Amino acid sequence: MDFRPTPEQSLLQEAVAKVAAGFGHSYFQERARQGAKQDELWSALGDAGYLGVHLPERYGGGGMGMAELTIVCEEVAAAGCPLLLMLVSPAICATLIARFGTEDQKETWLPPMASGRLKMAFAITEPDAGSNSHRIATTADRSGDGWQLTGTKHYISGVDEAGAVLVVARTGTDPTTGRAALSLFVVDVDSPGLTATHIPVEIAAPEKQFTLFLDHLSLTPDRLLGTEGDGFRQVFAGLNPERLMGAAIATGIGRYAIDHAAAYARERSVWGQPIGSHQGVAHPLAGAKIELELARLMLSKAAWCYDNDDASAGEAANIAKYAAAEASLHALDQAIQVHGGNGLASEYGLADLWGTARLLKTAPVSKEMILNFVAQHSLGLPKSY
Amino acid sequence: MCPKLSFLPRVGQVPCISGTIRDMNVAVCVKQIPDPAGELSLDPSTHNLVREGKLVLDDSDSYGVEMALQLVESAGGGDVTLVSMAPNGETSGLRTALAMGATAAVLISDAALAGSDALGTARVLAAAIRRFQPDLVLAATESTDGYTGTTPVQLAELLGWPSVTFAKHVELGEGLVKVRRQTEAGYDEVECPLPAVVTVTAGVVEPRYPSFKGIMAARSKPLDELTIADLGIDPSQLGAAGARQEVVSVEDAAARQSGEIVVDEGDAHERVVAFLERIKVL
Ligand SMILES: Cc1cc2nc3c(=O)[nH]c(=O)nc-3n(C[C@@H](O)[C@H](O)[C@H](O)COP(=O)(O)OP(=O)(O)OC[C@H]3O[C@@H](n4cnc5c(N)ncnc54)[C@H](O)[C@@H]3O)c2cc1C
Ligand SMILES: Cc1cc2nc3c(=O)[nH]c(=O)nc-3n(C[C@H](O)[C@H](O)[C@H](O)COP(=O)(O)OP(=O)(O)OC[C@H]3O[C@@H](n4cnc5c(N)ncnc54)[C@H](O)[C@@H]3O)c2cc1C
Repeated sequence: MDFRPTPEQSLLQEAVAKVAAGFGHSYFQERARQGAKQDELWSALGDAGYLGVHLPERYGGGGMGMAELTIVCEEVAAAGCPLLLMLVSPAICATLIARFGTEDQKETWLPPMASGRLKMAFAITEPDAGSNSHRIATTADRSGDGWQLTGTKHYISGVDEAGAVLVVARTGTDPTTGRAALSLFVVDVDSPGLTATHIPVEIAAPEKQFTLFLDHLSLTPDRLLGTEGDGFRQVFAGLNPERLMGAAIATGIGRYAIDHAAAYARERSVWGQPIGSHQGVAHPLAGAKIELELARLMLSKAAWCYDNDDASAGEAANIAKYAAAEASLHALDQAIQVHGGNGLASEYGLADLWGTARLLKTAPVSKEMILNFVAQHSLGLPKSY
Repeated sequence: MCPKLSFLPRVGQVPCISGTIRDMNVAVCVKQIPDPAGELSLDPSTHNLVREGKLVLDDSDSYGVEMALQLVESAGGGDVTLVSMAPNGETSGLRTALAMGATAAVLISDAALAGSDALGTARVLAAAIRRFQPDLVLAATESTDGYTGTTPVQLAELLGWPSVTFAKHVELGEGLVKVRRQTEAGYDEVECPLPAVVTVTAGVVEPRYPSFKGIMAARSKPLDELTIADLGIDPSQLGAAGARQEVVSVEDAAARQSGEIVVDEGDAHERVVAFLERIKVL
């Protein structure tokens, strides 16, 4: 066993930290407030090849894996710039295209995604099918040699900054189980028949969420990704990267929170000594640090399992995502507490991260669905739903 | 607030070149130092900076590395070779510079170098540089941790080459280097025959971030580790034994007086002017 990052991983971490430090949380906060995007940060990461570290070199990637992509994601979040779209575009969409795309599809979509010039959104959630993807109602019907897509998706992140959306749709019903047979489609955001309406959420982040109305949207045959009807299994391949990235955003926020809290507790003094010398301040912070480091350890293991096709990759990714979301919220809560009244001040850049940290307990996969997974797969308990 | 970041040399920043120079070989002195963002401490008996943990590329030297890369790119070919003296076989800072694009690195690490002063360091760097005879040596004006700013000029003296310090712009000519040298009043334009040693100031160029491709490529770049025996230098001239400088005692810097806050009640400009006159700035 070797817990050390490789020299390349250390260099990557340092390099990303430097790039992200050039932006920092005040940049993020300001962009979020103005309703603006973080295009400069995204392009800076893309130009340096950091958004495609996990993609094959043939398509402009770095030829490494999720261990490297989670390093990038955590480091940017640790600088106070959690990028939700890193979870969607490089981690889910590009991974699925690299895995199931035709040569043409890979050549078309992967290089611009690796360089950051193209973002791709991901649409699976529906008003009547959230945690239960078997109930997806958005349907793609055969039309000529292509497809026609109709249905509604909601809470789809980043449609306003994406060039395309990877849509999960029903293309039939499995005759044996009666469940939806799903397929994946790459849809241009400016396609006729696609309308997006903004869903306001209380998350201070530059990414926005949308309801997507798909109305007899025509697709050419080359927009089907992978095998018709095999979408459920294919989406599964994107779930572990998604969980790893959810965990990485969370541990990044956790690091940011604890670094700020520790620095503040060393400096701030109200009884003649730094508040960090009061155990009531020090112990909860030390506890939060321990939980965070445990989650980070699980995250590196989970990324390793994924990159090495280990049989426990799914379990590890779920556990890492659960632990990271809990640890990050706890760390942020404690950091706010350590800052007293300042913890709520915009200037201190903590409270505004609450929405993002809290989101990671619900999305991309909820805490309960992870507990279901662990109960059923790790403990062999009966499925409850 | 929009941070200024640039990954490509801006127009006008690329050193232009007159005449034809092929294969420009540049050596860059690269100091690896304890991470300035971390906890730093002095050895209580020798008063030397404790250099036991991981060392990083001194930010000051990232400008020299970038400058060298740009000069070689503009010359149309050549090598950028890093030269560093550091304890414990440390290579982290060199790897960062290799990932930025340098061709190769030479590390001199030897227990006998412990306690070296700037002259001892210059001796070691000179011996290493003589082995591959570059056209130009770049160093920073001063390091971030020791900042005596004396190593590069001593190095030039030992090599018997001219040196130009405080460069804020560097350009290659035929067999020479043209430097805008920062002065208190503005800058001097200096031309100097090659080979030469030039020290660059921070901000002379915008150092690039190592791209992921650069990071992966650095894996297979040559990194030679040499001892003082390899360099054939007399050990009595090096390390603590050869040091002519000894740190006798160390004191905490005097705590700064807290400043005076001028609250604007309509007369702030007058009070600021009065203050500047009092300290004889105006
Ligand atoms: C008392 C004392 C003890 C020391 N003990 C050790 C030791 O045990 N082991 C050890 O490795 N160092 C040791 N050092 C560091 C020493 O070797 C410095 O590198 C040297 O004194 C240069 O001093 P400076 O930092 O003031 O450099 P400056 O003259 O300010 O540096 C200017 C530029 O010269 C170049 N340069 C300087 N030093 C190096 C270097 N080492 N390698 C490559 N380029 C360089 C860089 O480009 C740098 O930016 C010690 C220094 C002192 C003063
Ligand atoms: C800011 C934001 C961004 C998002 N971005 C995207 C995106 O880009 N693309 C996309 O497709 N989706 C996105 N989502 C949707 C997100 O993935 C879903 O909200 C999430 O998966 C939960 O689904 P749901 O909202 O339908 O909840 P429901 O499925 O309605 O669940 C409601 C609650 O019941 C619990 N629950 C449900 N079933 C069970 C069970 N069997 N056992 C125990 N508990 C259960 C859930 O855990 C949850 O707590 C985003 C959501 C948000 C808020």
